[in-house]
Amino acid sequence: MSASAIFVLDLKGKVLICRNYKGDVNMSEIDHFLPLLMQHEEEGLLCPVLSHGNVHFMWIKHSNLYLVATTNKNSNASLVYSFLYKLVEVFTEYFKELEEESIQDNFVVVYELLDELMDFGFPQTTDSKILQEYITQEGTKLEVAKSKVPTTVTNAVSWRSEGIKYKKNEVFIDVIESINVLVNANGSVMSSDIVGSIKLKTMLSGMPELRLGLNDRVLFALTGRDKGKTVVMEDVKFHQCVRLSRFDSDRTISFIPPDGESELMSYRINTHVKPLIWIESVIEKFSHSRVEIMVKAKGQFKKQSVANNVEVRVPVPSDADSPKFKTSTGTAKYVPEKNMVVWTIKSFPGGKEFLMRAHFGLPSVENNELEGKPPITVKFEIPYFTVSGIQVRYMKIIEKSGYQALPWVRYITQSGDYQLRTNV
Amino acid sequence: MPYLGSEDTVRELRRALCNPNIQSDQLRYRNTVLKVIRAMSQGVDVSGLFTEMVKACATADIVQKKLVYVFLCSYAALNPELSLLVINTLRKDCQDPNPMVRSLALRNMTNLRLPSLVEYVEQPLTAGLRDRAACVRRVAVLGWAKIHNLQPNSETDAAVVNELYTLLRDPDPVVMVNCLRALEEILKEEGGVAINKPITHHLLNRLKECDVWGQCEVLRVLQRYRPQSEDELFDILSLLDASLVSPHPPVMAATLSLFLGLCSALPAVGLAALERVRGTLLTACGSPSREMRFTALCHIQLLLRSLPGLMGVHYKRFFCGYAEPAYIKQRKMQVLVELVNDENVAMILDELKGYCTDVNADTAHAAISAIGGIGRSYSDRCLEILTGLLGLKQEHITSAVVQTMRDLVWVCPQCSNTVCEALEGCEDTLQDSQGRQALLWLLAVYGERVSSAPYTLEVFIDGVRSETSLGVKMELLTTTMRLFLCRPAETQDMLGRLLHYCIEEETDMCVRDQALLYYRLLRCGIEETQKVLQGRRSDPSLGVLIGRPAEPISHWACSFNTLEPLKQGTVEAEPPSRGSPEHVTFDPKPNSDLSDTLDCSQIGKLHSASDRASGCSDASTEGLGSSAPPPLSLSLTPVLSPEEFEHLWLQRQDLHTEQDAEKREEEEGCACLLEHIRCPAIAHCSPQSLQAAMQLVNIQTLAFTPPHTLPWRVYLYTHTQHTQRGNAPHSTLIVGELLYTREANQRVKLVKKGLDDRGMVEGREGEPVKEEEEATSAGQRDSARENGEEDEVKVTLKQQPRDDTALKGFLSILTTVLHTLSSERT
Repeated sequence: MSASAIFVLDLKGKVLICRNYKGDVNMSEIDHFLPLLMQHEEEGLLCPVLSHGNVHFMWIKHSNLYLVATTNKNSNASLVYSFLYKLVEVFTEYFKELEEESIQDNFVVVYELLDELMDFGFPQTTDSKILQEYITQEGTKLEVAKSKVPTTVTNAVSWRSEGIKYKKNEVFIDVIESINVLVNANGSVMSSDIVGSIKLKTMLSGMPELRLGLNDRVLFALTGRDKGKTVVMEDVKFHQCVRLSRFDSDRTISFIPPDGESELMSYRINTHVKPLIWIESVIEKFSHSRVEIMVKAKGQFKKQSVANNVEVRVPVPSDADSPKFKTSTGTAKYVPEKNMVVWTIKSFPGGKEFLMRAHFGLPSVENNELEGKPPITVKFEIPYFTVSGIQVRYMKIIEKSGYQALPWVRYITQSGDYQLRTNV
Repeated sequence: MPYLGSEDTVRELRRALCNPNIQSDQLRYRNTVLKVIRAMSQGVDVSGLFTEMVKACATADIVQKKLVYVFLCSYAALNPELSLLVINTLRKDCQDPNPMVRSLALRNMTNLRLPSLVEYVEQPLTAGLRDRAACVRRVAVLGWAKIHNLQPNSETDAAVVNELYTLLRDPDPVVMVNCLRALEEILKEEGGVAINKPITHHLLNRLKECDVWGQCEVLRVLQRYRPQSEDELFDILSLLDASLVSPHPPVMAATLSLFLGLCSALPAVGLAALERVRGTLLTACGSPSREMRFTALCHIQLLLRSLPGLMGVHYKRFFCGYAEPAYIKQRKMQVLVELVNDENVAMILDELKGYCTDVNADTAHAAISAIGGIGRSYSDRCLEILTGLLGLKQEHITSAVVQTMRDLVWVCPQCSNTVCEALEGCEDTLQDSQGRQALLWLLAVYGERVSSAPYTLEVFIDGVRSETSLGVKMELLTTTMRLFLCRPAETQDMLGRLLHYCIEEETDMCVRDQALLYYRLLRCGIEETQKVLQGRRSDPSLGVLIGRPAEPISHWACSFNTLEPLKQGTVEAEPPSRGSPEHVTFDPKPNSDLSDTLDCSQIGKLHSASDRASGCSDASTEGLGSSAPPPLSLSLTPVLSPEEFEHLWLQRQDLHTEQDAEKREEEEGCACLLEHIRCPAIAHCSPQSLQAAMQLVNIQTLAFTPPHTLPWRVYLYTHTQHTQRGNAPHSTLIVGELLYTREANQRVKLVKKGLDDRGMVEGREGEPVKEEEEATSAGQRDSARENGEEDEVKVTLKQQPRDDTALKGFLSILTTVLHTLSSERT
């Protein structure tokens, strides 16, 4: 890959910050970017690559910013996009929110980061854990750190510094699974999958050696155990700290963890999942007079579990008015700017069924604009439960000083891209 | 801060920078520098502060240093002389005990991009290469690339190049990768870094240590390596296998790219690699980043060009989400069209139907064209949907539907009846010129079948004065002329009016000239006009084959994992239907690529690959090697156009029916062969899989009837290349027909006509062949009896010039393909 320059623009196309890495593309070329974008958008040919002469703009949009890489080579597109997303990731870790204001408030750090992330158009140090060791937000802190050479830059274990100390040694393990579901208007599940991730919050002293045991079916098959429920994971992706060779040979997940919060691994399970919250909806539209909506939500999970903060978002026509609601539980609210009704249920026990009715008026003059058919979306969170049945069997922590450390495990299942199409 | 004009700002800042009080207070000094940079980012021209900023550079505060360097690098080109002043400070920093300071100084020294400073930079750079700290070495290595980039014509010191080669063995993986990058840049003239066996093996062994960026770089550079032996090649491939299924799409893509490069001589391995990356690509299609999703989709489209069946069962992954941007939806639809098969067609069409009413008109249009594309193989279902859409009376939808119907009817004339019925009444909803042009074209071709055609035209002609689109006027002229030829009584009057208007009042020269042309044509007489305006039409009983032939991987391998596939799409995305339909005729790209010609020995391999692909093994492939003489090869080039084929076929047909002996002697040597091959259920095979299978062995199918119809027939052709013992290569053309009529042909007859009286020797050689064939067919007959009722396909082959051995070889290949296909079906 080679990116000639990286730009951060606001929505009007004004350059907030830029870095010219190679000097082979004129920096003023960026002036063509937004006009091109607008033009393509109008023609319906918008695409993540735009070209002006022999300069290509590869861009992504994040909140109210455009991040643009320019190049005049036939470079590797997926790598450039990965890099732009890496930028977003790193900036977000530094400023919490990446948006116009945070760039303006922190432009010194942004310059410093851009300098370290890439050199001569090639990505260099992109791990935010390492970067945070020598580029800190508080410029004043740097004076203290100045004389200290960050060991991580040259270290064998680049993601963890030596000499970390905690009074109480603990590891928090979060197993989070998101469910993506697409249900057809006639109620059949078109596609479903589970995207899981295991997150760590490590508060351990020294250089601990960790080993994580999961009920992985491949592992159980290898060791000849076959009792209990097991899980087949696909597309397993690990943090760089995990020794991949060991995982490949005997499926052991062993690693020296980065300090603080990190995502240890992610996986995908491609199975047919029963939608945990099933929605049946009847939306009747009487032109020129009213819309009547009836939504039934059913918890299709174990009775002992409870889904928290359930939000069922039902689309309504943009010209609807005078809402009236009736719910068997929870509250319904009309959000006119998003053209939807949000039905919130704070706690939703498994096996239960709730009902919401809504009534809207429609103006007698019909809206001429063609409207799309947005689906019903659902948000929820079910603690102490994983839909795939994945379990942390053990977490072994070994450090040469021999301290005792406690692992804590928490399971959460939540909604991902959870859509149910309607037939209106 | 009060608002100040840019000049005031600069003056204010300069005063602050020169203030000794501020200079002595580190925090205030830094804040002032910060203000300068902020002003710079806001677009204020602060280049006038260069001198002051150079002074501010001499500080112990790293943050201030970094800020000043940002400033200097931006303005150095404007002040080359003053920049010289910074060099001293920078060089001093290069001696700093803190490696961070050293690397910072070194990096910015090279970022100044001033050729005049190169001489001062080289010494610290050389020292930097040997620095203890890896972060300094990383910077120094790339520094050399930057210097070379500044002075591309000057020779880089050979000692430096050697040092860089040595640093490929640096313990730090980033240094190693940076070395590769630097050497690529410095040795660009010589074709980049030299990749020999030790370097390759070293890089491969350390691949795992690198981060994602590094791995991609290494994999890219390795593409230039050519393994010396097959063993080495396979060692490398097995080493790379893990990266091929890497969860990081860029690494996977880079590995696949390398794989395809290495296996260019082994197409079967390449195809297997494509199968292997399927999972990762599908995951990338569901990635949360829409750009990554888009990139993955574009690359899937490339893969499908060689392996049309790759994603067939996973079609649901390409269904569009509601909130996805239009460019992703359009790509997904393009992929869906490629994936259609008998099992999923209902689901896919149902889904596409939902997109046709999308709020975004472009998405809706793309969905309608996609349905049209599927209509080439499943015309009935698609036409039903399209006709249904017309009922919505939506302007843009109707326009898209009419355009799609026009394109469809051109390739599938059998749809014309339904289309003609649907056309009635849609002229009222059509507003845009594209849609009206399509409607006019359809009326021109099927005018006699649309009862309201003259009335529709009349409305057009009455409004021709206010017509703004040139295209519509031209189309209107042609349509009226053609309609006049088939319905003169109803059209004569309006044609007169139209011609009168166009010749007398129209200002556009093109329209006027065309009108004049038609006018003069009419004066030449009605027969002449008919000759000019009514060309030949295709046979409605045959559908022209849909889909592209499966291309060899080498066609697109070089553009894989670059920007190209992403850009190509935007060209393709402009629907081909926009143009005149005459350009949409089936026209197989003539390709002179040598890999097109496959040796028979490779066919076996390829075949087993395809079997593996479909998860079924077929014993008959093993028999292939022994029954076919090794030197026979098939090729698709030179391409035979459908017209040429028809001509040849009919010519042969005449010969075949006339059993005249004298006629035979006139022919310069061709052979006819009638054979029955037992392959049950072949007629239920989808046209795509039939075509793909034929393509695999380099047989081009030209036309076919839709599946399940009787009689079912397929026309095909190929060229054989056959080296006879000691002779120069000998090539022949074979055209053939497969016919299936369900009648169980119990009697297997073998008709063989030698049309060449000169070929005595060949005739003798033909004898054992004949016996063998009879033996095999007898065997078939026996097994047919054993299995009870079996269906047979009648194969008629015609060859020119005659070459029995080649013909026999071809027949055995064909038999294998048909057997494989029908065993897949059962």
